[in-house]
Amino acid sequence: MTVKIITDSLSDIDGELVDELGINVVPVYVRFGEDVFRDRIEITTDEFYHRLVHGNVWPTTTQPTPADFTEVYNKLAQEADELLVITLSNKLSGTYQSALQAKSAVADKCRIEVIDSQQVVMGLGLIVVSAVKALKAGASFDELVQLVHSAMKRTHSVMTFDTLKYLAKGGRIGKAQGLLGSVLSIKPILTLKDGEVHPVTRVRSRTAGVDYLVNFVAGTPAIEELAVEYATTPDEADDLIKRLRAVYPKERIYKSTVSPVIGTYVGPDVLSVSVLEAETK
Amino acid sequence: MKQIDTLSGQALREMFAAATGWLEKSYNDIDALNVFPVPDGDTGTNMLLTMRSTLEESYRAPDHSASAVAGAMARGALMGARGNSGVILSQIWRGLAQGLVDKDTITAVDLAGAFQQSASTAYKGISNPVEGTILTVIRETAEAVQQHVTGGTTNLLSVMEQAVSAAGESVANTPHLLHVLKESGVVDAGGQGLYTILEGALRYLNGEVDQAPFRKPHIIVSDLAPGTRLPQALVADEDAYGYCTEFLLKGETLDPDRIRKQLEKEGESLIVVGDNSAIRIHIHTVDPGKVIRYATKMGTVHQASMRNMDEQHQDWLDMQKEKAPVADIAIIAVASGDGIADVFNSLGAACVVPGGQTMNPSTKDLLQAVESVPAEKLIILPNNKNIVLTANQLPSVTERTVEVVPTETIPQGVAALLAFDYEADLPTNTQIMKKAVSAIRSIEITRAVRTTKIGSLKIKRKQPIGLLDGDLVAVADDIMDAINQTLARLDLGKYEVVTIYYGADTGVEEAEQVSAGIREQYPHLQVEIVQGGQPHYNCIISVE
Repeated sequence: MTVKIITDSLSDIDGELVDELGINVVPVYVRFGEDVFRDRIEITTDEFYHRLVHGNVWPTTTQPTPADFTEVYNKLAQEADELLVITLSNKLSGTYQSALQAKSAVADKCRIEVIDSQQVVMGLGLIVVSAVKALKAGASFDELVQLVHSAMKRTHSVMTFDTLKYLAKGGRIGKAQGLLGSVLSIKPILTLKDGEVHPVTRVRSRTAGVDYLVNFVAGTPAIEELAVEYATTPDEADDLIKRLRAVYPKERIYKSTVSPVIGTYVGPDVLSVSVLEAETK
Repeated sequence: MKQIDTLSGQALREMFAAATGWLEKSYNDIDALNVFPVPDGDTGTNMLLTMRSTLEESYRAPDHSASAVAGAMARGALMGARGNSGVILSQIWRGLAQGLVDKDTITAVDLAGAFQQSASTAYKGISNPVEGTILTVIRETAEAVQQHVTGGTTNLLSVMEQAVSAAGESVANTPHLLHVLKESGVVDAGGQGLYTILEGALRYLNGEVDQAPFRKPHIIVSDLAPGTRLPQALVADEDAYGYCTEFLLKGETLDPDRIRKQLEKEGESLIVVGDNSAIRIHIHTVDPGKVIRYATKMGTVHQASMRNMDEQHQDWLDMQKEKAPVADIAIIAVASGDGIADVFNSLGAACVVPGGQTMNPSTKDLLQAVESVPAEKLIILPNNKNIVLTANQLPSVTERTVEVVPTETIPQGVAALLAFDYEADLPTNTQIMKKAVSAIRSIEITRAVRTTKIGSLKIKRKQPIGLLDGDLVAVADDIMDAINQTLARLDLGKYEVVTIYYGADTGVEEAEQVSAGIREQYPHLQVEIVQGGQPHYNCIISVE
């Protein structure tokens, strides 16, 4: 039995990591006015943030169509017997719905399981990583599905923002609405909980924000996977990785960029850590 | 992008059918945005019912031309309009129909013109147009669309996109125009309804109607803190609101302008719209009988409805109470100065009790605050050395669980509040907040109340003095000098953020002077100036 794993581009699994993991990434769309781009394929992260900050057109995003998924399903169905699709939170995007609808077009060819990860960015990415590892270790399809559900409960992403402007404007602010409108300039720290954006706390300076991320990771009892992401500040991400390396010298720390689609909502200067806690035995 | 040059009457109808379907998915959320006493207890429902009547009538159009369909829609809207925003919505469709007269199909230019007509017709029906409502949203949308079309666009899809985007911006801005919205931290419900309708229309043009059946319109959020003034807002108002009275008046030679003029003195929120054969009237009055009697002299009264608004107000209060306890831990801060109170409110304090130096609130004052807040667990930030003891009494006088984070200065209070962790429980939060307090330095600049000697410092009455974390460290001849002396006690190279709250007796210029001085010497520091408005202290500075 051959199993293939599919995710969307909001997992922030990009470039070489896609090949290394041997997975398929379906791009979400980002649009500036009349120009439509496939996330990271037709627009690079750098180009995107340049347009976001300097352009005068506000970007919007669109989920992949069911046809986008059908195409991938059909292609993979030729070599695989089972497909595992892990999408970003259904509360943030209709991607999960598209992935689900696409199933009916290929249903008789192979088994397809679509899971709403309730996560996004490397929170989703790490769930996918852990599924790939389990698959390589010989897990059955049912075991994989079970593992993904277990990993979802053990995944946390925490982000520090410079501004909530983009999140509010994009309508994805969720429960963090209470952090808007502060008289003092603050840097919000947010997480994803039950598939939605939730506030964690606020700090006054960028340094305090980065400190919070380090302390958050350091305070996690046992780590299975760990990732750091940035949008426009690679040096800061490197410093953060260095500090995390001091706490977890042996673990691999995945480094990625926040994809343009997510960038539409988080804006530049976002810095994020995602952890997959190890299972307690 | 797909190019759509024209829309037929048939397509116009289908577009609004799709828009109504889209509205139906979120009318409950729109209802929840209501702010009393802005009229309408149920804006979303009313707009939806109005749209249904609009659509029903559109199928009775004499032919399939755009003008016939729009005309039928306008009639349907007028006949079935419900509530304040429903009536205004009916005016918008009426204007649209007027703008599309004699059009077989609609072009981008036609649509822009029709939107303009919608905006002006909407304003006309109302004796006292209020900005920050659906009126503003249709006007700003029409303006943006007109500009877009003037720029040469002929694509209806692009025009509708522009309309949705402009409407969204306009809705987000409503709290800045209408104070009650700002106080409740919500956008205008009617404006949101219109935005959702336009968004639904856009989805139709984009061919997205049947895709993703589980998608739902989102409610626009403003850039304001929501619900921070809730405790005050929940105090029941004693004023009577009277009856929200609505009906359709049918006759032969009705004169809307005359009727509007006649009814203006009978109540508030008056809307009179329609033509000489049918007029929709909406008014808040203490004597609905008089209004109806007057109307029956002109013609026949239909679909009359009267609702007791005091009852509605009570329902609204109950709804607010249900909605209120989002976070299960509420924070009460003691502070004086409107600017400082705003800081605490905007950072999520549930209640700010007035008090501070020489104005210590009593245990009873604090207890009242504790009990006014819909939360079982509370944290009190006394923000003054002399109030800590009073605050410590609270856990023993109330049944609610109260923790005190013994903040002795305003900067400590702000630091504690900022550090609040939404995910943590009460004991953990108390700990986190205490820790945050220890990491901050507070400077207070004031004038000596009497001549005295402390340690080696001789102080004359009214002489500026500087305190660092409550200890007197500087005596000076002027305020600036006192600030500089006190700041010199700190190694500013080690810190990151300096916040200057200037007091009621101090100008922003002085604060800016201090800020410029600090920046010049320590360019890495982030310096922020806040109008604190506090009495006694010329300046309060936090260094962190």
